[in-house]
Amino acid sequence: MINALRQRFNIPPREEWRERIMDMVDARVRAITAGLSMKELRAILRGDEPTEKPNPRYKVITTSFVAHLRPRYYQQAATWFSHTLRLGWFTTFFFVVETITGVILMFYYIPFPDQAYGSILAIESNVFFGELLRDLHRLGAEAMVLFSWLHLLRTYFTGSYKGPRSFTWLTGVILLLITAWLSFSGYLLPWDQLAYWAVTVGSSITESGPVVGPAINMIMRGAPDIGTGGLLRFYLQHVILFPLLAILFISIHYYKVSREHSISLPAVVEETEMDPNEKKEHTRRIDLIPDLLTHEIFLTALGIFVMLAIIYFRWFQSPLETHANPQQTPLDTKAPWYFWWLQGMLKIDPAAIFENMLGAVGIQVELSRLLDSKFIMGLVVPPALVIILMAIPYIDRNPSRLARKRPFAIAWGIAWIFIVLAWSYMGTPEYGIETPPATRIIQDLAPEEGEGPLREIPFEELQAGIYTVGQDEAVDLCPQYSYIPEGGDEHDLVLGCPHLTAVFMEFSERLRDAEVDGALPNLNARLLVEQVQHNLFRLVPHVEWSDPATGETKTYEHTYFLHENRAEH
Amino acid sequence: MKNIQLQIILGTILVLLSAAILIVMGVREPARLAEYEVQQRAGQIEFGAGVYINNCTSCHGSQAQGIPGRAPSLRSEEFFTARLDEVGWQGSLEDYIISVVTVGRQVSTRPELYPGGGVPAMPTWSEKFGGPLRDDQIRAVAAFIMNFEAYALGLEPTAVPVLPVVDESDPASVGRAIFLTAGCTACHTISGLSTGNLGPVLDGLASRAGERVEGLSAEEYIHQSLVDPGAYVVEGFDNIMPADIVAEMSEEELDSLIAFLLTLE
Ligand code: HEC
Ligand code: HEC
Ligand code: HEM
Repeated sequence: MINALRQRFNIPPREEWRERIMDMVDARVRAITAGLSMKELRAILRGDEPTEKPNPRYKVITTSFVAHLRPRYYQQAATWFSHTLRLGWFTTFFFVVETITGVILMFYYIPFPDQAYGSILAIESNVFFGELLRDLHRLGAEAMVLFSWLHLLRTYFTGSYKGPRSFTWLTGVILLLITAWLSFSGYLLPWDQLAYWAVTVGSSITESGPVVGPAINMIMRGAPDIGTGGLLRFYLQHVILFPLLAILFISIHYYKVSREHSISLPAVVEETEMDPNEKKEHTRRIDLIPDLLTHEIFLTALGIFVMLAIIYFRWFQSPLETHANPQQTPLDTKAPWYFWWLQGMLKIDPAAIFENMLGAVGIQVELSRLLDSKFIMGLVVPPALVIILMAIPYIDRNPSRLARKRPFAIAWGIAWIFIVLAWSYMGTPEYGIETPPATRIIQDLAPEEGEGPLREIPFEELQAGIYTVGQDEAVDLCPQYSYIPEGGDEHDLVLGCPHLTAVFMEFSERLRDAEVDGALPNLNARLLVEQVQHNLFRLVPHVEWSDPATGETKTYEHTYFLHENRAEH
Repeated sequence: MKNIQLQIILGTILVLLSAAILIVMGVREPARLAEYEVQQRAGQIEFGAGVYINNCTSCHGSQAQGIPGRAPSLRSEEFFTARLDEVGWQGSLEDYIISVVTVGRQVSTRPELYPGGGVPAMPTWSEKFGGPLRDDQIRAVAAFIMNFEAYALGLEPTAVPVLPVVDESDPASVGRAIFLTAGCTACHTISGLSTGNLGPVLDGLASRAGERVEGLSAEEYIHQSLVDPGAYVVEGFDNIMPADIVAEMSEEELDSLIAFLLTLE
């Protein structure tokens, strides 16, 4: 009966079943993997030789779209960790992290000045893993900038920009600019004071340009000041234009590496005489599948783990200051650290330098009219530097890539590292900017944004009073007082108010030092602590002095409010 | 091929560790979100307090206690319990505050008590209608006002425990300590020191004292208010200030107290 049915419907016998199903599965697997059979996959995982000829692992690279961007193999020495340090790879990794986290953030972010800041707060307080997403995106951005610089240094020092790879270098410089603009445009989006002023100051550089300067500034900001138009422009550039450009240029850049020139061999292998066997070993093929791919998956796991660990242990936290306020310029505008070099450069005044130099040989000239330092240091020098950077492969005609055969290039590279570090140091907010002493002292105690010792005084220690500098310098400002810190028991009892006292002492000492130095004669200063609501205190450091030059009385004070539940960082 | 297997094993361990981190973070996430919200509210209140101090004290008083004849208290029990029904507002009090502050008040609803600045009684605050404040500042100042609720409903003690720091050489400093200990705080508000509301707010006393009674200088008027409170009764108040309140004080102490009151510009 069954056999009759079998024959009737042409159903094969049992033994053939298995084979047929396996064939079908195999065909599917081959389609999905672009050419690898089940058997081959197994061989790859076991680390066996290819099972078919021609090598099916190479076939993938011609048939799969994604894989066609990849090399079939690199020569063994080109994969040395010490050669590439995987810096270019990690730059790409961070770009992928940015794309993924960025797309998710886009679901929540609202690019309008009246809602942008609120939407960031909502991401932090209302979105599951919202803070993690922001941290990942911000950390990834900083890492991408850092790694693209390091990658530039590595390709410079290994001489990999030479010969045929000069175009790769050129696209690399373009990528550096794209990366810089991606991070700069993203910096504005949270619409806090940090963002608003860093971008306002940064974009004001263009204003100093001749003829078209103000127009460029206008195009960038969408209005004389950054507002709705400006934010939208930055946003669209950040999420559409520049990611697309980055994808395009990374593809071009990487295609050159993967399909045309491969990663350069270390100069020692390429240029030095060595034992043929050793050389053979160093130029042996390391296939994409499985070796390079496994390594990249491992690096991915490593990268993700390190990022998560950094965030988990709070070694990195995305900043968020108070809402952007165009009416209030913060005392210290902070560019992101990777732009400090530019900010430092802007503090250089070429006119003054030339005047001094000429003055030394007896020529007195007035150059500051002719040489607008913001224009020169902001709009002439940086583009010139970029052009020089792009031209390095054409300037450096030395054919050798061996470090010892290019001492000048290596010294030059090291010198530039120090120059950029020096500029960065000059670019820190404190450098070269004179803040009146009273302002500086109060600002150091409690910066307008962020924490500072004053804000770190535990709420329990805030004891209303007027503490006068010069009189209340007792060991403890509130001797009769004691409290048990939150979550502690009687063993943790704190006597007096040590933190408040310490802050006040610091305040006093620095003011008194300034008084002794003559910067604050007739000093009269106090710290007012008063209770506003049951869980809110107001602290007002107040300084009065006579101006050393004019003798008139000056005052400076700043009001801070501290709420019991304020975030402790 | 050793290398590959090593990387697979290490990679797997790293993935597991990453997963562990994510799980731990995920478990803590609801608590973190809740905490962030509390902290965010605290930050908003701090920010709103600044907005209040810079814009609202001239009418509503330095501590939102209201100024009779000008603008109402924003921290009275009445404001927190009865005001919405009085004006027929359907939504929450916070929304009411946001809405009133945003558009301002063209005419006062209680012109005889709180005429404010006349017309408008209270100006528009929102940037949208030509005022100086952004929406987030208005929301923050509303959060600050809402934070008086516990106090207004009597859930939090009024009296602020203060251990004054006294500068013996400065009469005003001594006087301040006397003010804090002689019982004045129960009835008088001075920003940052006390919150009593049976008597007039003493902020700004020094500037108005000289005009209270013809022929008396500010100092003389204050002296009189202390030693003989009934001689001149401030409009809108009853003569309830104890007549003997400074009787026990030495001449010096009284002078210090007056010196302190004269600093209230
Ligand atoms: C020019 C004086 C003036 C200033 C300044 C002022 N207000 Fe008012 N405000 C008034 C008056 C007058 C009223 C009451 C009008 C009424 O009774 O209808 C009022 C009412 C209010 C109310 C509603 C109170 C109620 O009981 O209905 C709120 C809330 C309020 N103001 C908040 C503020 C805030 C916040 C600020 C600072 C940004 C401020 N006001 C600044 C005069 C002022
Ligand atoms: C029981 C409540 C009460 C106490 C306690 C009290 N006062 Fe008064 N005080 C009032 C009242 C009510 C008025 C307004 C009526 C009047 O002028 O007598 C007033 C008025 C004043 C005035 C005049 C204010 C003005 O605007 O003209 C001064 C100054 C003053 N008090 C100071 C003090 C001092 C200092 C103390 C502590 C030694 C004190 N008061 C204790 C209730 C009190
Ligand atoms: C977004 C930024 C960039 C990305 C994603 C990127 C990516 C890569 C990758 C993945 C490689 C393969 C080799 C390696 O991993 O080191 C590579 C090689 C290379 N990159 Fe980049 N790169 C970027 C920026 C730059 C910059 C700024 C420069 C220099 C100006 C540069 C110059 C080169 C050169 C010369 C090579 C060839 C190296 C060799 O053959 O040894 N790249 N890049």
